[in-house]
Amino acid sequence: MRSSARAIALCVGLLASHAAAAAELPQRWVSAGGALSEWVSALGAESKLVGVDTTSQHPESLKKLPSIGYQRQLSAEGILSLRPQILLGTEEMGPPPVLSQVRSAGVQVELFSAQADLPTLQGNLQHLGKLLGSEDKATQLFEQYKQQLDQQQAWVSQARKKQAPPGVLLLLGHAGGKPLIAGKDTAADWLLQQAGGRNLATHTGYKPFSTESLAELNPEVLVFADRSLSGEAARAALFKENPILASSAAAKAGRVFEIDPTLLVGGLGPRLPQNLKRLSADFYPAAPGQASTAQ
Amino acid sequence: MTPLLKPRALFIGLSLLCLLAIWLSLALGPVSLPLLDTLRAALRLLGLPIEGQGLEQAELILGQIRLPRTLLGLAVGGVLALSGVAMQGLFRNPLADPGLVGVSSGAALGAAFAIVGGALLGGVPEAIGPYLLSFCAFLGGLVVAWLVYRLGRRNGQTHVATMLLAGIALTALASSAVGLFTYLADDATLRTLTFWNLGSLNGASYSRLWPLLLVSAAVALWLPRRAKDLNALLLGESEAGHLGIDVERLKRELVFCTALGVGAAVAAAGLIGFVGLVVPHLVRLLSGPDHRTLLPASILAGASLLLLADLVARLALAPAELPIGIVTAFIGAPFFLFLLLRGRA
Repeated sequence: MRSSARAIALCVGLLASHAAAAAELPQRWVSAGGALSEWVSALGAESKLVGVDTTSQHPESLKKLPSIGYQRQLSAEGILSLRPQILLGTEEMGPPPVLSQVRSAGVQVELFSAQADLPTLQGNLQHLGKLLGSEDKATQLFEQYKQQLDQQQAWVSQARKKQAPPGVLLLLGHAGGKPLIAGKDTAADWLLQQAGGRNLATHTGYKPFSTESLAELNPEVLVFADRSLSGEAARAALFKENPILASSAAAKAGRVFEIDPTLLVGGLGPRLPQNLKRLSADFYPAAPGQASTAQ
Repeated sequence: MTPLLKPRALFIGLSLLCLLAIWLSLALGPVSLPLLDTLRAALRLLGLPIEGQGLEQAELILGQIRLPRTLLGLAVGGVLALSGVAMQGLFRNPLADPGLVGVSSGAALGAAFAIVGGALLGGVPEAIGPYLLSFCAFLGGLVVAWLVYRLGRRNGQTHVATMLLAGIALTALASSAVGLFTYLADDATLRTLTFWNLGSLNGASYSRLWPLLLVSAAVALWLPRRAKDLNALLLGESEAGHLGIDVERLKRELVFCTALGVGAAVAAAGLIGFVGLVVPHLVRLLSGPDHRTLLPASILAGASLLLLADLVARLALAPAELPIGIVTAFIGAPFFLFLLLRGRA
């Protein structure tokens, strides 16, 4: 009798201490960064999110959550009305006075870097893991991610022995019209390089190009990221709006590929390795396919 | 044409409207506070020792978020509407708005310089970033308005028509410079710039509020003293001169007050259109063109309307927020069309 009472007391005690540990971690999360929201979901904590910003478009289910607006133009009271315990964002989140208002209301504001490189991602994931109480899972996700990118690099350098890296242009557009060309110091440039392409554009940032210089560069491969159309419709719109592109080597060889424009913002996201793999397979069609890695 | 309302009735009505707008602006927001909590938090803010559950949160929302925002809305709305009256009086044209003397475009140029130039030079320290933006916008507005005024002067006289054209030319010049900055901007700064151009009362804080409050109080006290002179100016410049008014000085004061007031308002809240244009019309419709009524009444009406527009801006998409410039233009533009069509009938 006494021992069973003890056992019950012990169980209750354990439960209580477990609950206490869980209660110390923030339970109501608001995320203002596309890639961050994706990682929170990937770490299995989507149910803790009570609001996201307009850049959080993946996974699809996030769109059902209340939107706190654009990450640079947040509203203090709007965020507070969701009664969050923690607000995540990148250094792009703002404006600063709003952040300090949110902070002074007792909400934990956690800033992450949106830089597109592996050490940053590692730091971000560890930080997230600690905040979510799932550090092991975060480490595991990062190891997988790194492994995938390493394999990707190895594959690309193999493929390069047989085929010179193709000259690529990445076009960021809206329904095909007046696309912006991705130059140096952009996430798009990093993406092209990782996939084994050679970015023909040498300017910095995203800039519009004259059709003449497009014709002169004569890219072997075109990659487009369209914000409003996708698939064949986007491809058709691109050539309709920019007939000069139809005469490029890329168009003649049918080497015009698409990527999701949301991959280009907010740092390295969980969907990146898959997309890189697809893109590099498009860049080096002759090379043998990459072994699929376990997810 | 006899005015719809006597001045006294107008002032009582507008004061009530203004108080209502202030009350709504303090009481409503995305966080729903019970009425009783709002009242008790307000008393706590005034220093009364009231204790209660959740009152600290209510006090914070009221004191740190809604109150500065309401004060900002009052000052910006009042000073924009007042400057509108000053410009319509100066140009003797009901289509005039504070943008005509180049304050808005100059401020936009200053802001673009601060946002894009700052980013190009490798980033501004976060602590001074917002102040730099406000300062550049204010300075840009003043410089362009001063240039417009200088270009309008010839032989010691200010030619209003030349000033108007100079204003148009400098506005075009400033816009093209803003365009250049837009071209140089990267994605992130571009969005900051776009949102700045739409105006917002979001993120108001006391430290950035007091310069605007000082300037708008000064302008709001000064301009109504010139009401009689503005009335005389309606007759024409030489007529006003014959009535013994120093017209050159009046014009200088009008341009200076507008540049100062609109510059400070824009620096604090970004570009907010249509308030300066529409509010004076609204007041004239109600009580006639006498500047002795028009000037003070426009302050009240502008402040109330901006607070109500801000209420829409922060509640319509809560928890996200609309830029207030969208709301004012959305209300202002149809109203302006209505005025145009009514005049034709």
